[in-house]
Amino acid sequence: MKVLEAQTALLSNYEVYQHIVDTYKTDNAKKRRIPGNLAMMVTEVLGYLRTAPSPLAKQDETGAYSPEALPRLIERLSEENFGSELTKAELLMIFNLRPSNNAVLSTTIEDMIERFTEEEQARLVEVFTEVLGSNPPDPVEAAEDESAIPSIENGQ
Amino acid sequence: MFMLTKLADLVQIAPQDFSKESAKAIEDNINAKYANRVIHKIGLCVCLWDITWTSEGLVSSGNGYANVNVEFRMVVFRPFKNEVIQARILSQTQEGISVATDFFYDIFVPKSELPDGAEFEAKEGVWIWKVDGAALYYDNHELVRVRVISEEWHDQAPQEPLALEDQPASELLSPYKIIGSMNVPGLGCTIWWDD
Repeated sequence: MKVLEAQTALLSNYEVYQHIVDTYKTDNAKKRRIPGNLAMMVTEVLGYLRTAPSPLAKQDETGAYSPEALPRLIERLSEENFGSELTKAELLMIFNLRPSNNAVLSTTIEDMIERFTEEEQARLVEVFTEVLGSNPPDPVEAAEDESAIPSIENGQ
Repeated sequence: MFMLTKLADLVQIAPQDFSKESAKAIEDNINAKYANRVIHKIGLCVCLWDITWTSEGLVSSGNGYANVNVEFRMVVFRPFKNEVIQARILSQTQEGISVATDFFYDIFVPKSELPDGAEFEAKEGVWIWKVDGAALYYDNHELVRVRVISEEWHDQAPQEPLALEDQPASELLSPYKIIGSMNVPGLGCTIWWDD
């Protein structure tokens, strides 16, 4: 074995998720035997990416993330004049974690308090929610909602 | 937390695999060798991303294996420094908290990287963060956000059989270990911070 290039690119969680689903979880691919160590690895990685609050938790149902999501996020940020404010690493973390409030946002952006005012932070969170969606309400609330209004989606 | 690494290797396809498409045979070979393995100073391999180049297959005399030189890219788990990742609490000791993702278990948050006011409750074996009069528990199996602050590599070089016998199994160091931090707002148990 020879390492030609230690790091050719960074991948977002979504890209890894999509690659695994496309390569190993389509009906055609399931018919084929794959090495045991690989089968275990892809199952565990998928399980990890599907654990809420990971934004990919309900990806199969909602399709919140798509190949256009990241370009769209960058476009929306520049529309809001945040174009060059965030570094690539910060954007990648935001794309992977989808912060829904200031506390979580502050972990993904270095020195956030000095770089953004509170109003700007709120606008950032708004943009992320708009482009990437948000976490579904927790199961207890969801159950109450369902009993109130019969859901067509779940009762198919 | 994932990246692509470009590698080159010699792939040997066994005669019983000649019925497979060449590309599939090479893919299976690479995955069987690398998936769920740590490469020293590179990271934990997840799966093959794509094959970028292959040589012609050469059949070796004696065993009939087809030898192919392949260049390919692997998906590798290696969070960058200061990256925040989601993980789950595995176990806790006086020294700190061990956390894990579903596929990687060697992440450790030392007590110095827990927030001020964190105390270890020896009786229950859990860490508690006492803040503003409230006690927040770091329960096992709880989901947390962790910032990666450093990594440790231990080359798993083969050892002499004698030396191996003298050494208890627990002293074998994991090949790749991540040191994490949970000492700023937003890190620690996810339920504390999510609305």
